[in-house]
Amino acid sequence: MAAGSVPSAIIKHQSRTPYRSHMANTKRYWSGLDELRETEAFKTIQGQEFPEAQSVDEFLTDERLESTHTGRRDFLKFMGFGLTAATLAACETPVVKSIPYTNKPEEVTPGVANHYASTYYDGHDFVNVLVKTREGRPIFIKSNTETGYGRVNARVNASVISLYDSARLDGPQIGGEASDWATVDAAVSNVMQGEGRKVLLTNTVLSPSALRAIAQSGLEHIQYDAIDYGAFRAAAEADFGVNSFPSYRLEEAEAVVTIGADFLGSFADNVIYGERWAAMRKPESGKMSRVHAFETNMSLTGSNADHRTMVKPSEQGRVATALLAMVTGQGTAGQLSEEANKAVALAAKDLKRAGSKGLVMAGANDLAMQRVVNAINAALGAVGTTVSYDEMTLFQGSSSSLKQLTSDMTAGAVEVLIIADCNPAYDAPNAAAFAKALSAMKHTVSTSTVADETASLCKVIAPTHHWLESWGDLQIEADRIDLVQPTISPLHNTRPWGESLVRWSGVNQDWYTYVRSTHASDYTSDAMYTNAAWNKAVHNGFIGVDVMPGQAVTFAGTGTSQAISELNGRKGGAVELALYQKTTMGAGQHAANPMLQETPDPLTKVTWDNYVTMAHSDVDAMGLNGFIGQEKPASLVKVTVAGTSMELPVFPMPGQAPGTIGIALGYGRGGNGENIGKAAFQTGENGSFETDSDGKPTPVGKNVFPWTAQSGDFTDYSQYDVTVEATGETYPLACTQIQNTFMGRESIVKETDFSSYFAERDAKKGKASWNELITLAVHEDVTGDGAIDAQDGKPTSAFDLWHEHPVEEVGHRWGMTIDLTSCTGCSACVTACHIENNVPVVGKDEVRRHRDMHWMRIDRFFASDYSLERGEEEGTSVIGSYRKMEDPSANPQTVHMPMMCQHCNHAPCETVCPVAATTHSNEGLNQMTYNRCIGTRYCANNCPYKVRRFNWFNYPGYKKFANFNPAQDSLMRMVLNPDVTVRSRGVMEKCSMCVQRIQSGKLDAKKAGTPVPDGSVVTACAEACPTHAISFGDLNDKSAGVRAISENNRAYHALEEIGVKPNIFYMTKVRNVEPNQA
Amino acid sequence: MVAYTGFRAFRNILTACLLLTATQAAADIWEEGDIEAGQALFNANCASCHKVTNEVLAAPGLAGIADRWGATDELLIQWIQNPQGAAESGDKYIKSLVDRYVPTYGWMTAQAVSPDDIKNIMAYVQNPPDAAPVADAGSDCVTVDDLPIADTSDTRSTWFLMLLVLFLIIAMAAAGVNRSLTNAAREKDGDDLLEDAPYGVRIRNWTWDNRVAVSLIGMFFLAYGAVLGYQGLMRVGVVEGYKPNQPVKFIHSVHVCENEVDCKYCHHSAYESKHAGIPSTNVCMNCHKAVKKGRRYGETEIAKIYDAIGFDPTSGTYVDGSGKNGYTSPQDTYDGEPIRWNKVHNLPDHVFFSHQQHVVVGGLQCQNCHGDVETYTVGRVAEVEDINQLVDKYPGLIELSKPTLTMGWCIECHNKAEIDLASSGYYEEIHHRLKDNLRGNEELRKYMEDDKITVKELGGWECAKCHY
Repeated sequence: MAAGSVPSAIIKHQSRTPYRSHMANTKRYWSGLDELRETEAFKTIQGQEFPEAQSVDEFLTDERLESTHTGRRDFLKFMGFGLTAATLAACETPVVKSIPYTNKPEEVTPGVANHYASTYYDGHDFVNVLVKTREGRPIFIKSNTETGYGRVNARVNASVISLYDSARLDGPQIGGEASDWATVDAAVSNVMQGEGRKVLLTNTVLSPSALRAIAQSGLEHIQYDAIDYGAFRAAAEADFGVNSFPSYRLEEAEAVVTIGADFLGSFADNVIYGERWAAMRKPESGKMSRVHAFETNMSLTGSNADHRTMVKPSEQGRVATALLAMVTGQGTAGQLSEEANKAVALAAKDLKRAGSKGLVMAGANDLAMQRVVNAINAALGAVGTTVSYDEMTLFQGSSSSLKQLTSDMTAGAVEVLIIADCNPAYDAPNAAAFAKALSAMKHTVSTSTVADETASLCKVIAPTHHWLESWGDLQIEADRIDLVQPTISPLHNTRPWGESLVRWSGVNQDWYTYVRSTHASDYTSDAMYTNAAWNKAVHNGFIGVDVMPGQAVTFAGTGTSQAISELNGRKGGAVELALYQKTTMGAGQHAANPMLQETPDPLTKVTWDNYVTMAHSDVDAMGLNGFIGQEKPASLVKVTVAGTSMELPVFPMPGQAPGTIGIALGYGRGGNGENIGKAAFQTGENGSFETDSDGKPTPVGKNVFPWTAQSGDFTDYSQYDVTVEATGETYPLACTQIQNTFMGRESIVKETDFSSYFAERDAKKGKASWNELITLAVHEDVTGDGAIDAQDGKPTSAFDLWHEHPVEEVGHRWGMTIDLTSCTGCSACVTACHIENNVPVVGKDEVRRHRDMHWMRIDRFFASDYSLERGEEEGTSVIGSYRKMEDPSANPQTVHMPMMCQHCNHAPCETVCPVAATTHSNEGLNQMTYNRCIGTRYCANNCPYKVRRFNWFNYPGYKKFANFNPAQDSLMRMVLNPDVTVRSRGVMEKCSMCVQRIQSGKLDAKKAGTPVPDGSVVTACAEACPTHAISFGDLNDKSAGVRAISENNRAYHALEEIGVKPNIFYMTKVRNVEPNQA
Repeated sequence: MVAYTGFRAFRNILTACLLLTATQAAADIWEEGDIEAGQALFNANCASCHKVTNEVLAAPGLAGIADRWGATDELLIQWIQNPQGAAESGDKYIKSLVDRYVPTYGWMTAQAVSPDDIKNIMAYVQNPPDAAPVADAGSDCVTVDDLPIADTSDTRSTWFLMLLVLFLIIAMAAAGVNRSLTNAAREKDGDDLLEDAPYGVRIRNWTWDNRVAVSLIGMFFLAYGAVLGYQGLMRVGVVEGYKPNQPVKFIHSVHVCENEVDCKYCHHSAYESKHAGIPSTNVCMNCHKAVKKGRRYGETEIAKIYDAIGFDPTSGTYVDGSGKNGYTSPQDTYDGEPIRWNKVHNLPDHVFFSHQQHVVVGGLQCQNCHGDVETYTVGRVAEVEDINQLVDKYPGLIELSKPTLTMGWCIECHNKAEIDLASSGYYEEIHHRLKDNLRGNEELRKYMEDDKITVKELGGWECAKCHY
């Protein structure tokens, strides 16, 4: 009971009679001093139960009541109740609804994917694809390898997300207000019948039906391309008499010289070049092409070239003339540095040796340059073998026509302008003038799917279908017409722009009927599915067309000398600018695609930004930040080109020609806050958009299209004189890789030159000098020479730290081989992996903190000039040497190395997991069981390859990710793969080798009662790889391709010496360099 | 849209092949068929509408068809494969069939069966199993008349609890009265009054006085509570017996048992997909185009599917979006509200279960996991004890102990289920790989210690089998 020492004030007020403790009767307690003194006030209230009476009305009308808030105790009570209620509710099984079709389409079975052949074309990339749909939703795009043209790149791969972009317009608009098709049709047909000049502006139209509709409409048709290749066509016309974009046949070329043409990256018809180039890069065949690259920025092509030389944009023309002079003795060679001259001589030697199997390409959209290149190719006899002009329809756009149109519009000479499939207010060289003229016009129609920079200035928006919703036909080469077929019902009230055009011309026909009647004049809609030939064409994705064999073209040769003198006369400035396209962002059509924004640039490894790339020497000279990391932001510089300035961060880039800078196009979309999609804008740390002083959202990156130059009739992508000034400010860049070199750890990347390879090409696996088996020293006499010495090594396979998993030759053993010789680093595999496996998009801020969730990354390593040997010679300490080996050389050789979970048979991650959430399967897979994982991250710490990713946040729910994570958008989440779990916070995740595909492949085999056929199970990355560098299969299947590759003498394990026995094999990179140049 | 899988093309070719062989096989359509094969085919394709007796289900009974058939055998084949096509032949007998049955029952769905299949079916139809066992089987069925009107939920324990509380209150009140009376008596007698302490104090005092007994009893209750609590926690996530009410009062027993509709007639995607699926409404319509009235609920429940798909039972035709009547097939323009069923078997999202794997490859019977659905009214999660009792009825059924739809249940079965390595080319290849090398032999010996190879031994216990 209470002891006597309790202070009187603690006794409760309500107990007006002092409480007497029966244990201490002598003591008296008062409830207060009032009671003790027996004051008047005490006496008056003594007998009342409620000391200060207050009526209910008075209480309820008391204004202070409004401001009372729940106290701590109440809060705790509510919390306790809430917790209990939630716990109890969690024990109840929630009722889940299941809604079957009322009338099920015949070909749809819930849970079974259908694939449809279709064709992707966005004005730049053209590729035949297969679209995977689940329950009527397209979720994955892959190359149609059986009948197709091209291989999907990262952009095509990720484009499936744009279908579900919530920024898409859900119906036609007039003057920014929602309208309906009848009103729009009436309005537009009306102005189309009126007087005045009526123009249709598009990118290059490849659709025969659309061209028919345009002809029928009587509109004047003007085409321009976001990236202009007009000079290529003009040069072909002048030199060969054919207005065609050249077809480069890299699979025939033994010597390739590229002057700034990034054919493995984003140059022209890149979707087909990679596969063709890789066909000539098979060292086993005894023959390998040699690529010489002369370029300004470090490009994918340059990083994969055998010889790479840095030249400024103004020097590129002189490289071409020098090459022409050395190959043919024709013309005057341009003035070049000694180093460049040597490189040109070497290239010329290879070209001459290759003869008609040589190929020269130049990236500059410059007539003189292309004519000199044509002259070299013609002199080599390459025309017809490695380069041909057979009516390829790509890139018919003319930027001079657009320029003319703009001035006509400004002058009021255009009455009606209809804009389809292009965005000139963003990507035209004279975008500002165009936008101004456009907004002043009375009758403007856009068919854009989103209210983008151009559409938002148009009076009428008649939104077209997304390509996955629409029928269509496309013709890239004369002998086939590729078909586009819808894979989903239109999500919004949209209509193909071809159909709009047809209807505005007064023909009442739907687009499907129109397309079909283009190819079958007697088509009637009753015969929708009955025509077997059409059905076969839709199934295969194309209609074959009989063509007459093309005429051989001859080189006219006039005008070369003029071109030579023009090129030789070019003067460069102190700092030159080369604009380029990233493989992820292209010309900016995909700016709102979060998956592509977060796919790192293959060379800089920077996500979510464009920036100035600058040589290390220039960075140091300007005193800018040379190292960029989480706490090391990039320096901002002010770049001034032709009078306009922009501030951009600087990324120090090995291989950038000194005295030049490079900036990527395709960024800065939605500069006026147009609603082009949430992921196109910068999101701050708290998840809301960053805004400028006007409250407009800040776009990701800066738009540098205004810095393209109009030279003559063509758009040029370089500037010869720009100024760069330091601002003293900084800007954070989100970069996924910090290490630039592998610091002499040769067990990660193995590399040799072609002649060394060739000398030992028959050596047994592990015996060749360029791929020696790594052995560990043991204290026993292995060699049997009676002495124990350094030779006494045992291969790592002889050591077992743990019990071995019985996977070799038992059951399945899923494995992968990655050929570093043909891997270009293009990142198509990265996006494919992430879309297949629902890898979350985490945004720039999280990437900056190295919390990117990428299951697959491509490590890009630059070579260093320094080595331990050199350090020894120079007397540098070992540590010092290693430190110097961190710095790449000024013009380094580059290795791209795809890295994902190696599925080690002696996996270090498995042994440290306290809850056995990561375990090994008897098929060689390192399995990750999310529902068991408690997130200790021991496994990630113990992984030698650093491929495990910790899921830090509730990405599908937390507001920080609301503006870009696909799972947070009710529409965009439709793209998630239902066969793969969407992981939640607090678990570790990593590459599963697409175990969902393995399981379904095994099931198919079991149902068929046959062994799993080689090639029937393939991971997303292997499927996407355009150069076939990645192979996947069952290593225990004696007939499997992947097994044969793993037994090749070039095959090795990364970090073999640690003995973790991976199921992924890399193939030694072979570079076809001159032996003395290696 | 044309599926890239080429399914349509494949089917066309198949049909063409079938038509080619039709003439050869037709000659002896009524003879030499395989009765057993016919029974399987009949159950899979025909039994949902036809009976082998004279009884009319959703279409005429087929007893005596051989004697009745008045057209050529070729036309019978065509009539089954493409009824509308056969009607166009202008044959009188066919026309009489069309006039007589189509207005009531609608057109028969074209059946993808070959002439040989038809021969087998006809063999079965002519030699149906003995009538007596059929009648017996029929009597096993839970007929609708046996069904309780409403589900009586178990409320006994609630009543018991309420009574207990009431009893306690009365007991305490009585004790109070007793006490007052005692005090009154004592006051009268001039004795000391009973000490007036609150209940709490008195209970505490009593507890202290009887501490040994109270501790013993307390410990018992504590242990009992712990056991109950543990069991309760073990039931968290266990959904055995889950039987949600459904928007349509669909009765499995009527369809499966009385009318002998095969499970895979409605849940056919169990054979093609990971989902068994709830049948789409157009599948219901295959029979309910004709069966317009149920025995128990009359027209009200069937009307719900008519509403969903747009069917007018009076005219026997479908309606389109604009309300136009007279279509013979469901119209996509009709904007009906699909039926929102309550999902019965809910697996967590991180579990990937494939029906196809179990039914097609594993050869499991539906009853192995779902129990004897033909005795159910609404679908429910079968209890493992109930399933175990079916072992006599369905030989090959695997008896398990863990609650259904728990991971313990899954892996217990994977540990028991055997794989016959000679059963298919896939397993033969796996067997070869095991036999052909030393390490494999060692593994195989370990597998064969219990003289059988279980699913577990070939990877059935591996996490990535179901979780990815």
